[in-house]
Amino acid sequence: MMAGFVCRAVNRIISSQASCCRPVVAVRHSHWFTSMLSLKTSAPLRAEPKKKKKKVDPRQEMLVKDRLKKRLKRMEKVSPELIPIEDFITSAKSFDDTRTRAPPEVSFEESERRALLLKEWSRHKHKQHQMEMQEIQEALKAQKQALMQLKLESKELYIAALRPDTDTLPFLHHGPCYTPPKADYEAPDGKYNDITRVYIQ
Amino acid sequence: MAAPFTRVYQPLWRKLTTTVLSTGVRNVSSTRQQWAELNVKTAGAASPWVLHGAVCLQRLPVVSQDRSPIEEDFMELMRQIEFEKSLLADHEVKVLEDSARMSRKQDEDYDSDEEDDYKNKKIVTAQDLEDVWEQNLKRFQPAPRSQGDGEKDLSSSERCLADSLVLLVKKDVGSQKIWLLPQIEWQTGETLRQTAERALASLPGADLKATFLGNAPCGFYKYKYPKDVQKEGLVGAKVFFFKAVMSSQKHLPLEKNTFAWVKKDELQEFLKPEYLKQVRRFIMAL
Repeated sequence: MMAGFVCRAVNRIISSQASCCRPVVAVRHSHWFTSMLSLKTSAPLRAEPKKKKKKVDPRQEMLVKDRLKKRLKRMEKVSPELIPIEDFITSAKSFDDTRTRAPPEVSFEESERRALLLKEWSRHKHKQHQMEMQEIQEALKAQKQALMQLKLESKELYIAALRPDTDTLPFLHHGPCYTPPKADYEAPDGKYNDITRVYIQ
Repeated sequence: MAAPFTRVYQPLWRKLTTTVLSTGVRNVSSTRQQWAELNVKTAGAASPWVLHGAVCLQRLPVVSQDRSPIEEDFMELMRQIEFEKSLLADHEVKVLEDSARMSRKQDEDYDSDEEDDYKNKKIVTAQDLEDVWEQNLKRFQPAPRSQGDGEKDLSSSERCLADSLVLLVKKDVGSQKIWLLPQIEWQTGETLRQTAERALASLPGADLKATFLGNAPCGFYKYKYPKDVQKEGLVGAKVFFFKAVMSSQKHLPLEKNTFAWVKKDELQEFLKPEYLKQVRRFIMAL
């Protein structure tokens, strides 16, 4: 009843305003005081309806943030440039055609001789290998027998013999060269320019 | 060594000693603590064999061996094939360029201004470089590979640089003087390897530094004393050999009649046949 009365009052006001066309501009300096001619509403009534607070929200936000961070990291991760292996790169000189030699003329006898020599060599190396293996086997057998005899003699000495020897390894020995070392040789000072390429990843 | 191991093994072994083995066995300490120590030898049934530790000291080759005929042939063949399959090296390219330039110079219509690179500079030809290198090589005199007559001197360790040599010592054994590997009797309280090290150190007049290869013996030899020397319980001796490699090259010369550095195939002139048979097994002439 009251609402109907208010509505009628509002309509009369608006229609009277429209018919009059009076240039009345209601200047509002604050939102506390709206025009007297409109509906009386308070600030809380006029406010945007409040959003319902979801309880899982902060956790979901964290998850979303983490996912974004991961994606960023993956995109930023550039695999380091691989260091080139010098040995695997064939230099351009090998493909130079001007460097080829004249093809060898190998006569039939020469090729026969080469084939026979290769076969002879393989026989020689096989024999050498067999002899070496035999010597090693013999030495191992001798050692096993010695250890067995030692066991028969004394348990303690046997256990002492079985202990690993840490002094022998690392074993260092300079192998044979073509000529023996000179007793009073002074090597000359060698100056050299080190041109090895150093790569940094 | 795990403690359980000793507990399980010991009774079995004890049974064996009392029943099966007729030859006496050196006594073993029974308590667990004494397993760890080596120094205890309780009195009891002693073995009739005296223990000796010996050292097989080798001087490894200093110089590479000479090639056999087939090895020479094969080496030549490999070099030929490699040469045939190869490309021209930088040096060879330079030689060819130099010879081409020389031939161009000899031509009548030679114009030195046409040469791009060398206007007024001095040219170092590849041939000049080769001559310089040859002269440098001639200035260096390497030590000779073989000693010549010095090979006959058995007591020098510089003989036969291409082979590995073994040290032999002449000792009185009983009434005779025989050549054998340096050996010394084992004493209680040391391992056999320490005995071998002592044998090496106690050689009169020899200051040899060696690296022993491992704690285990590489071979053994047993011999019985002649009847008159055999006392109660002592039948003979057992010698355990240990391998060692000589580490220092410089040392004082050794006495000629007591010491000998010997190759594997010369061993038979020095050692007794039975001894030689056992010793040859572990001396490798590879």
